[in-house]
Amino acid sequence: MAIQGIDFANLSLMDALDLAILIEDEAQERYQDFAAQMEQHHTPEAAKFFTYMVENEAKHGRELLARRTQLFGDTPRQVKAAMIFDVEAPDFDEARAFMSAREAMAAALASEVKAHAFFESALPSIKDPDVRALFEELRIEEIEHQELVQLELAKLGKDNGVDGSAYEDEPAAQ
Amino acid sequence: MSATCEFQAKDYKSDLKPIWCPGCGDFSVVQGIYRALAAIGRPPHEIAFVSGIGCSSRIPGYTTAYGFNSVHGRSLPIAQGIKLANPDLLVLAAGGDGDGFSIGGGHIAHLIRRNVDITYIVMDNQIYGLTKGQLSPTSQKGRVTCTSRFGSLEEPVNPLLYVLAYGAGFVAQASPTDLAGMAAVIEEAIRYPGFAFVNIQSPCVTYGEEAQQIRGLKAISESLVSLGHNPADRLAAMDLAQHYGEKMHLGVFYRNPEPAPTYDALVRERQALLSKDALPKENILDLFIKK
Amino acid sequence: MRKDLVFGMAGSGGDGIVSAGDSLLQAAAAEGYHGVMTKSFGSQIRGGESSCRVRIATEPILNPGGNLDVAVALNWEDFLKFGAELPVSGNTVVIYEAATGIKETEIPLVGVTPLQVIAVPIAAMAKETAGTERAKNTVVLGLIAGWFGIGAVAVMKGIRKKLAKKGEELVNANQRAFDAGRAFAMEHPLKTSMAVMPSETKGQVKLITDGNDMCAAAAIFAGCQFFGGYPITPSTEIMQFFTDHVWKYGGAVLQAEDEIAGIGAAVGASFAGKKSMTATSGPGLSLKSEMMGLASIAELPLVIVDVQRGGPSTGLPTKTEQSDLFAACFSAHGDVIRPVLAPTSVADTFRITIEAFNIAEYYQTPVIILSDQEIASRKETLDPIDTSQFKIINRQEPHGADLVDYKRFKQTDNHISPISHPGMLGGTYLASGIEHVESGAPTNSGSVHQRMNDKRTKKFDPLKDRKDLFEVLGNPDAPIAMIAWGSIAGVCREALAMAQAEGLNVKLLVPYLLYPVAEGVYNEFFTSVQKGLIIEQTHLAQTFKLLRMHIDLPKGVKSLARSGANPFLPGEIVAALHHLLSELQRSHEGQLQPQE
Repeated sequence: MAIQGIDFANLSLMDALDLAILIEDEAQERYQDFAAQMEQHHTPEAAKFFTYMVENEAKHGRELLARRTQLFGDTPRQVKAAMIFDVEAPDFDEARAFMSAREAMAAALASEVKAHAFFESALPSIKDPDVRALFEELRIEEIEHQELVQLELAKLGKDNGVDGSAYEDEPAAQ
Repeated sequence: MSATCEFQAKDYKSDLKPIWCPGCGDFSVVQGIYRALAAIGRPPHEIAFVSGIGCSSRIPGYTTAYGFNSVHGRSLPIAQGIKLANPDLLVLAAGGDGDGFSIGGGHIAHLIRRNVDITYIVMDNQIYGLTKGQLSPTSQKGRVTCTSRFGSLEEPVNPLLYVLAYGAGFVAQASPTDLAGMAAVIEEAIRYPGFAFVNIQSPCVTYGEEAQQIRGLKAISESLVSLGHNPADRLAAMDLAQHYGEKMHLGVFYRNPEPAPTYDALVRERQALLSKDALPKENILDLFIKK
Repeated sequence: MRKDLVFGMAGSGGDGIVSAGDSLLQAAAAEGYHGVMTKSFGSQIRGGESSCRVRIATEPILNPGGNLDVAVALNWEDFLKFGAELPVSGNTVVIYEAATGIKETEIPLVGVTPLQVIAVPIAAMAKETAGTERAKNTVVLGLIAGWFGIGAVAVMKGIRKKLAKKGEELVNANQRAFDAGRAFAMEHPLKTSMAVMPSETKGQVKLITDGNDMCAAAAIFAGCQFFGGYPITPSTEIMQFFTDHVWKYGGAVLQAEDEIAGIGAAVGASFAGKKSMTATSGPGLSLKSEMMGLASIAELPLVIVDVQRGGPSTGLPTKTEQSDLFAACFSAHGDVIRPVLAPTSVADTFRITIEAFNIAEYYQTPVIILSDQEIASRKETLDPIDTSQFKIINRQEPHGADLVDYKRFKQTDNHISPISHPGMLGGTYLASGIEHVESGAPTNSGSVHQRMNDKRTKKFDPLKDRKDLFEVLGNPDAPIAMIAWGSIAGVCREALAMAQAEGLNVKLLVPYLLYPVAEGVYNEFFTSVQKGLIIEQTHLAQTFKLLRMHIDLPKGVKSLARSGANPFLPGEIVAALHHLLSELQRSHEGQLQPQE
């Protein structure tokens, strides 16, 4: 997780909203990438779950964008995608060929925890009350996301402890 | 609107689906390249992207540009031919550590001394992934692989120290632990007028060791900016580069503050100078008249 | 008077014998003669033995000639090292350095009695007139002018020009040495006059150059704008020519770090849309072969010159051979055709090089020019070439509709797909060594591989109908035939003329296109043939085997093959043809007998 060039103490509400949108966009893109990787590599359950996450992140992103537009119209964005990295998106190496849905969910859960930690750590330095309120809201939403993923995990039932990788073919030399 | 705003990262993403293992570090590198190219803003058809052979050498196929996935170890000779034939192009070369420092290891020194304006990105994963996990030139001594059952007996190559010693004008390192930083150094490398080298620690999820995965890399990462490193100081850069393999310094090790003229620029100068007294091509045989 | 004279001279490198040969050739050209000069050296960089052979004639010359008419030995040890390259016969006048102390009756030539043997105090004359023995070569030129009537004026004109910057005294010293040689010849006339008749074309412009320079000049004429290479004897002069001239035409040259990088850069330049070239010799061809495979599958135009020398490995780096034929035809892994062309002289190197570029561009393929050390290094006098008669072909580029959803490797009726290059809007694609579908996307599909192999093979079919890449000389219905390519074709051309003069009914096929093998052309040629020789300078009879691989050769067609640095002489080929004729007559008699 990385943030650069952002001064939380003096963050405006517009910038905070844009930052939140970029964070959702990044996560959405990463899940899209993962879903594509899974589809390409015969791991459909994980692909399905990652696609579900794409939709979640997109939905959240759209809501934030609507608020931003309502409040600030199309005033040019000040924060850039380059300023954030892996806030809510899982690390690049969280994806694995033949990963189970459970493993995919665990990766997503870890990312939501990571995002929650980000907002929580940023909160103390924020002065603007509106921004503070937004970050508080976002922090809580990350908890809701965690619950959503946990719900999906619960649907899978109890982990039978079988290591699926024992059944896989060796990688193929090219 | 300035030219730099005309393209977005996704404009450089091609329709081909990567064959890389899910979780491969190269997925981040290609994103970093898309972002850097978008920041530069050159249209895809003015970009030539050359690679050799290896997992990472598939990368031109995943980029919208004129791509060339060539033969093992030879991305640099081909890239320099392209640049000399048409210096207006933005020329990128990429490949793995085996491609660049083993089979093609002889070329980099010469590209550097010629200072051809090419950006060379090595996706360094310390292993031969495409052929299923053999020892690579950057594998640590003692590393157990399928061709070193009892541990490697060789010291690894230090790519950073190599290129610094050869006199490269721009040397940087990046990793998937910091995509924004990676995109930034690739962009800076492309903007550098001359041969630029970016080593990217790109973990192999299939054959890499645990310590080489992102979590492990994060543990040893250190930004050169945070260390207060001055990228104009070549000796300091070499000093830091010695820690390749133990520490992962991210950012620009060295940027020549006074870049030497590029080979391609000198070629143009010579063409302009000499074309004035060219015989018309159809009379070229007059050179053989003995008077 | 003579119409044709072959000089062979040998000495140590310090004797300047090759430089004398150059002066002689230039003087001959200035006097309107046709000339060919070949050089041969020992393996030392400096201080080894060196020799040259200069043939001068009033008619165009087809090869450097057979037995010497005039042999000049500055010392016998060096002369003898060249063996069969400087053959002395009963018709040769032998001139040698008197200071060797060997009597005219005891010269160390075994099994031959020359027409005349003359010991000349060459070194002493040089010392006396020019103040240094180093002027021996100028004395020799004076002797030649005196005895054979060549260069009496032109030689000194040339020398004066060459030495003008070095001062009047040196020019005068050379003039005295030259005059002394000439005077000696006048005072000691030959038993049989061997003077050459004056040329009718005196005063006309002549070009003088060698095969390597001609090849490079032709490449630039054809539009080549990039050369990537690495020094290797005997091809290096091609790169040197590019470094002198290509810049003027907006091109570039790269002396690369190795053979692979040389061809790699050329492949890159071709990908970037420029005509490009590399040149090498046998060992370099081996190193380049992986890249040749790449250029074939990526369908990139490229010209590779292989100036053959004795092989394998370092072999005989300064001697000619034709033994890279297999390596050129079958140089790389995988199933693919790469056209191989071979010039037969300096003059036709111009045309063949242009053809190579045209074929490379039209068919989008690497093309190999199989030159050889002799053609590459020998100097020929040439009549001016009308360059306007040569058509230049450029690669077919995509336009308009082609660039909508552009497919780089699109299947077309002639199997050739329009090729884009970086900088062309709408033409982006992935070039690759991996098998690809029409768009260029990688694939490992067997059916696509089969289809693409078909495409890459069938596109060359029209090339096999290019009869203009073959030459049939002599009576087209003759029962006796020769086939020869490269520098050996020149020897055979002369043998053909000699055999015809002796009444033999014979013909000669000279292929300029060696590969793909044009079965139709050969089958048509063989229709009338009962006996024949495939003549080549390889130890394994590679040409014979290559043809046999593709064609059912008539039973009477045999191989006449030998290793490099053992030149063929026109006379011995004529003798072999006579032998074929007698075999033919015997077999006819044999056929007739049972019927009686």
